[in-house]
Amino acid sequence: MKIFWDDAFRVCSIALLLVLAIPAFASKDLYPFSTPDQQNRFYTLTSELRCLVCQNENLAESNAALANDLREQIHTQILNGKTDNEIIHYLVSRYGHFILYRPPLDASTIGLWAGPFLILLIGIFYLVKRAQK
Amino acid sequence: MTPDIGLFSLLLAFFFALIQGVAPSLSPRAVVGQFFCLSLSMFCLIICFLTNDVTVVYVQEHSHALLPFIYRIGAAWGGHEGSLLLWCLILSGWTLLFRMVGKRHLTDSFFTKVLMILGWISAGFILFLLATSNPFARFFPTELITGDDLTPLLQDPGLLFHPPMLYFGYVGFAVGFSFAIAALLEKKCDATWIHAIKPWIILPWALLGCGIVIGSWWAYRELGWGGWWAWDPVENASLLPWLTATALIHCLILAEKRDAFKGWILFLPILTFTLSLLGTFLVRSGVLVSVHTFANDPKRGIYLLIYLSVIISGAFTLYAARIKYFYQAPFFQFMSRETSLLLNSIILLTAVATILIGTLYPILLDALHLGNISVGEPYFNLVFIPIMLPWLFLMGLAPYLHWKKTTTSYLFKKMVSPIFLSLTLAWIIPTLSGCHFHPLAYTGIALSFWVIIATLRYAKKITLTLPRYSMIIAHIGIAIMVLGITITKSYSEEKQVRIILHDTVDLAGYQFTLNQLQNVAGDNYHSIEATFLIREPNQTVFVLSAEQRVFVSHEQTMSKPGVAYNVWRDLYVALGAPLSDNAWSVRLYYKPAVRWIWFGGGLALIGGLLSLLSFSRKRSGA
Amino acid sequence: MSIRAFLYSLPLIISMAIFILLWRGLNLHPNEIASPLINQPAPFFQLPDLYRRKEIVNNRNLLGHVSLLNVWSTACSACMEEHDFLLMLSKQQSIVFIGLDYKDDTHAAKLFLKEHGNPYQNIAVDESGQTAINWGVYGTPETFIVDKRGFIRYKQIGAITPEIWEKTLKPIVQVLADEKI
Repeated sequence: MKIFWDDAFRVCSIALLLVLAIPAFASKDLYPFSTPDQQNRFYTLTSELRCLVCQNENLAESNAALANDLREQIHTQILNGKTDNEIIHYLVSRYGHFILYRPPLDASTIGLWAGPFLILLIGIFYLVKRAQK
Repeated sequence: MTPDIGLFSLLLAFFFALIQGVAPSLSPRAVVGQFFCLSLSMFCLIICFLTNDVTVVYVQEHSHALLPFIYRIGAAWGGHEGSLLLWCLILSGWTLLFRMVGKRHLTDSFFTKVLMILGWISAGFILFLLATSNPFARFFPTELITGDDLTPLLQDPGLLFHPPMLYFGYVGFAVGFSFAIAALLEKKCDATWIHAIKPWIILPWALLGCGIVIGSWWAYRELGWGGWWAWDPVENASLLPWLTATALIHCLILAEKRDAFKGWILFLPILTFTLSLLGTFLVRSGVLVSVHTFANDPKRGIYLLIYLSVIISGAFTLYAARIKYFYQAPFFQFMSRETSLLLNSIILLTAVATILIGTLYPILLDALHLGNISVGEPYFNLVFIPIMLPWLFLMGLAPYLHWKKTTTSYLFKKMVSPIFLSLTLAWIIPTLSGCHFHPLAYTGIALSFWVIIATLRYAKKITLTLPRYSMIIAHIGIAIMVLGITITKSYSEEKQVRIILHDTVDLAGYQFTLNQLQNVAGDNYHSIEATFLIREPNQTVFVLSAEQRVFVSHEQTMSKPGVAYNVWRDLYVALGAPLSDNAWSVRLYYKPAVRWIWFGGGLALIGGLLSLLSFSRKRSGA
Repeated sequence: MSIRAFLYSLPLIISMAIFILLWRGLNLHPNEIASPLINQPAPFFQLPDLYRRKEIVNNRNLLGHVSLLNVWSTACSACMEEHDFLLMLSKQQSIVFIGLDYKDDTHAAKLFLKEHGNPYQNIAVDESGQTAINWGVYGTPETFIVDKRGFIRYKQIGAITPEIWEKTLKPIVQVLADEKI
């Protein structure tokens, strides 16, 4: 970090003094919340939802206009005291399960959720049988 | 003229590949001819890019008059056609290498069989190129055009290394595949075979690993979200053969020691190459939505799928028919080195199955008209992590297990102190450095410490040979990687803020001040550069710049994040969209230990390569 | 067949199953997401009309006839491409087109329609994009086929081409037109 410091000092020392004199406390969050808990919920929720326009991005990442609108909706709904489940229901009833990066466990996704663990169990069972006493 | 030479030599390469596949006596010579032709073809394509020959459709679609010199070379494999040409070239390069150094100890008939199988694989692929994806297809424009340009996302030095490295790995497994097929054909798989196949697995394994690490690092510094692994379908596809090759490397040790388990060591090379081909298919067919799939032409997908299924079903049919000749039932107890190595394979194959299920399940439901679902990061975090945790425990335990059987009391005696030590240290160290307790973080850190402590303790007790060094370094590398992943996942902090000039924002004890906004002109883009002054908790100050680039060709916007790093943490700033009142949206990240992921991964690969050294030494000694 | 023989042919079986799946997958369109609103009552909406700002366009405009609710915007090039065909359809057939002008510059929208013709019976102006979200719209153009009772029966993602109209949409519209309320 030494090099950075030298550069910084040389180029910006005056500006620096000016800047440091100003206290920086005002909330500058793009999506301001009243509690850190709400903030965390917002980050978790948007990162687990898929953007429908740029389909390889999540809602937190996407720069698409729709993603922006949906982020604002989620922000407002969290501020209005909606639970995560209510927000997810709101989105799923409009866009379907596609919007969830974590599919819900139901009859059609049982293979998705149980499959890997079943395979591991079968493997271990084979190994136990194969090994001799 | 140049494109015509390129196409002609590609055609010639196809005939050489055919000769290599059908004529045993001419095979070794055809290998050289094929390699020469494909090199010439690739050379011609690069020349077309350097001269910006827009009459070549592929160049027109992936280049631009303003594209910087080095990216023109990279652009030669930045699109579908060129990347497949690179695939063929690398395959023929591996074949040539095998022809030059692989002969020793192998019988003539086996050697020729391997060359012939490789010839068939190559012929199929070159035919695919010629039939559906000719990189030299021409179009003579009637008006002046400058080219559509390379996707800005690809305009990064990463493009020069990431795809070739991945392909070196992917394609390299073709040699191991041919070894397995030849062994099944000859009904013979002995110690010589095991010894001979090793470098052809370890080398591509290391190169593929290197490609994955570079890709992860590239995504981190390019995509602007501070993410290093997104469980994107194409990332997953590259991980699959790496996992099975890891299992294979361990099974080879097992088979060498016990002269058994041939079912495993013949199955895994076939599976590994199958997954390489599947990866190529997933990237190139557009069957999945991914960051990496740029073009979508169903005809190509169908050809590739036919090619894939012919090779793979042929190989697995042969396997099903012949593997009974290799069956043995060696003695071992549950508490033994054998179990640990087999369990390693089982866990890794479960990991592979998990990724495959996660990647293909949406297609399955869509095909059955059961709706559209998405399977992404949260799914893999929930399923993949619990499967890999026992794997880490096993990694520390395995060296202590003896062949055939180990008594529980012996194991207990050896294990108690490293387990106790790692559990304690995993609690003390984060607490002392002021981190809050987090159960998942604790588990990850404790398991990494366990692997490191157990491995080092083992290293102290034994005489160190090269293979043992290689194991120790590789295992510690993985442990460091897991440590990095755990710490980054648990203790990263981020903020998305609205900021104007001279505003200051606090994040994780650092103060970020937006100090300057200026316009910067690049070769083929102009950008707005935001310079931040960052004050560390210890009051030192440095500058960091992030850019928002707009590329001239299509007015495409891309964020170029600024990253300041040291051993302990990265600070990451990405400039978002301009907002009202001269404000900008900016994302700030504090990512502790994120570099350990790549460092650990690199260390593991060096460990693997080290064992190759022992191999070449043994070779020259023999 | 013994268990062992079965075990050894398992790789073949699994890989063939995957190949069949991938072959099916090649014919699917992963970008087109099925709407959960099919066979559901059309979501409530109430928006100003593009030309008569004091009037409102709402669910009542969908009742009593088969309607095609077309989500469009002048900022969307695919919408411009399908426009001429929509215009032709609106003249030939007795179909009610309702436009949903999505987050658009209304002035530009009026200018465009003046120049190219207006296929729509009513155009609802969705300035905030909220109605489009309620309808599960994720890109323009999208077209909903709404039956006489105001239920959504089909959703077309992307531009309507003559081919898509003949093969997919027209048969649906014809069946719905014959339905009794």
